[in-house]
Amino acid sequence: MELVDLAATPQGQSDFVRYLAQVCDQTGVEYASYAAASPVNGKVFAFTTYPDRWKQHYMQQELHLADPTLHTASRSIAPVDWSRLERTESFNSVFDQARDFGIPDVGLTIPIRGPYGETGLFSVTSSTTPEDWLKLRKRIIADLQLAAVYMHDRVMKSDRLIDLLRYPALSRREIEILQWVAAGKTQQDIGDILSISPRTVEVHLRSSREKLNALSTAQAVGRAISMGLISPS
Amino acid sequence: MILVIDALNRHLFDDVLDEMFKLRKRVFADRMGWDVTVRNGREMDEFDELDPAYIVCLDDRHQVTGCARLLQTTGPHMLSDVFYDILDGEPPLRSVTIWESTRFCVDRDKLTKGRARNSVSYATCELMAGILEYGRDSGIQDIITVIDPVMDRVMKRSDNAPYGYVGKTADMGKVKALAALCDCTDERIARVRAFAGIEGDIFLDEQAVLEGRKSAGMDSLGTELETYCDAQIAAATSQHERAAALALREALTEMLRSRRNINA
Repeated sequence: MELVDLAATPQGQSDFVRYLAQVCDQTGVEYASYAAASPVNGKVFAFTTYPDRWKQHYMQQELHLADPTLHTASRSIAPVDWSRLERTESFNSVFDQARDFGIPDVGLTIPIRGPYGETGLFSVTSSTTPEDWLKLRKRIIADLQLAAVYMHDRVMKSDRLIDLLRYPALSRREIEILQWVAAGKTQQDIGDILSISPRTVEVHLRSSREKLNALSTAQAVGRAISMGLISPS
Repeated sequence: MILVIDALNRHLFDDVLDEMFKLRKRVFADRMGWDVTVRNGREMDEFDELDPAYIVCLDDRHQVTGCARLLQTTGPHMLSDVFYDILDGEPPLRSVTIWESTRFCVDRDKLTKGRARNSVSYATCELMAGILEYGRDSGIQDIITVIDPVMDRVMKRSDNAPYGYVGKTADMGKVKALAALCDCTDERIARVRAFAGIEGDIFLDEQAVLEGRKSAGMDSLGTELETYCDAQIAAATSQHERAAALALREALTEMLRSRRNINA
């Protein structure tokens, strides 16, 4: 299994690392990283805000082959707090070395399962005490979930083969709602028009945004128009 | 009380899951007549191979009284891959903040009527609270759940009415199924808890369950046979093999028990 440091690739992927650094700033965690195996060719894509020294050591020692934050966490549906991994041998083998490089062992990994069986893993570590970590985690977990799926979609789009597979499959309901948003209606309006609750409107919009890899509803409307899924009104 | 079992701890709770698969067979195949696959007296499908999280309701003796299964909607799940009929051929909702809940059931034989702690009503609410709280704590905002019209009425009665539905009501064997939406908000959780009178932390500690089940004398096999059976269960590489290993242990337990009875 080949490990590719995305920051070092020529396609200007450094904005991924910049995004990770932003996540660190906004949520108050120490380091963030992302890894995913392509379902097409099995390559592991990764990038991280970890110091270069640790990154080099990790790649040289091929620690990704043993790292439980990758292997074990990928089988969970919920975020995996690293305290759950502590009992395993592989945890010690990786984290004893991490500690020598000053990498904290408090953190969590968010697994993202994609429609083609691929799994993306978004991890953050914190240098706080375990008690403070619990409080911090509670506050930022929803933001981290969104950051994780954003990263995953961006990376999967960077793999040409997968990108071709991932043409957004919007349902009629999702398209209908985007069309009403494009017409300037609020979620409440749309709920009234379609006789559904505003939260049902919202849940369809959230799903549409993620399928279109858009950060805002406005961006989703723009993308849907440019793809011809809805018409400008 | 609720125990969450997923790929990370299922090796500790194979026997709990086995009880759960048997309960699912009794409920979905026998009682509700759903078109499900039953092997060895256990109801399992391909989604059980995808490392879902199980929310399992246990009574005070740590026996399984209810369960539900959770999957991410970004990956393969029932609405995307099985329940086309409900969605009328439309693509499903996909979001990292929405989980899908399926195979929700409680054990009417073990639970009592009324609203007390060991009642059907209490266990149902505890299970619903377990799903919502586990979701909320994982940063999940909504649950989409595949249910039948009876469950839909149960949810409405338990002050946990879905805020919306997706697709249409579709035929599933003898009964109908539909996809309902629930938010994992503190407000909804508080309503469900208040309705059933649930207080305090509902999640069980892994260690407490292990010890509780052990002392309840669930393991009546001889040490050597037990070690062998555990090794077989641990070495299983598929759901099918695991089920076979568990069936072997059960058969041996049964055999030894009846022999002891004859000797005595």
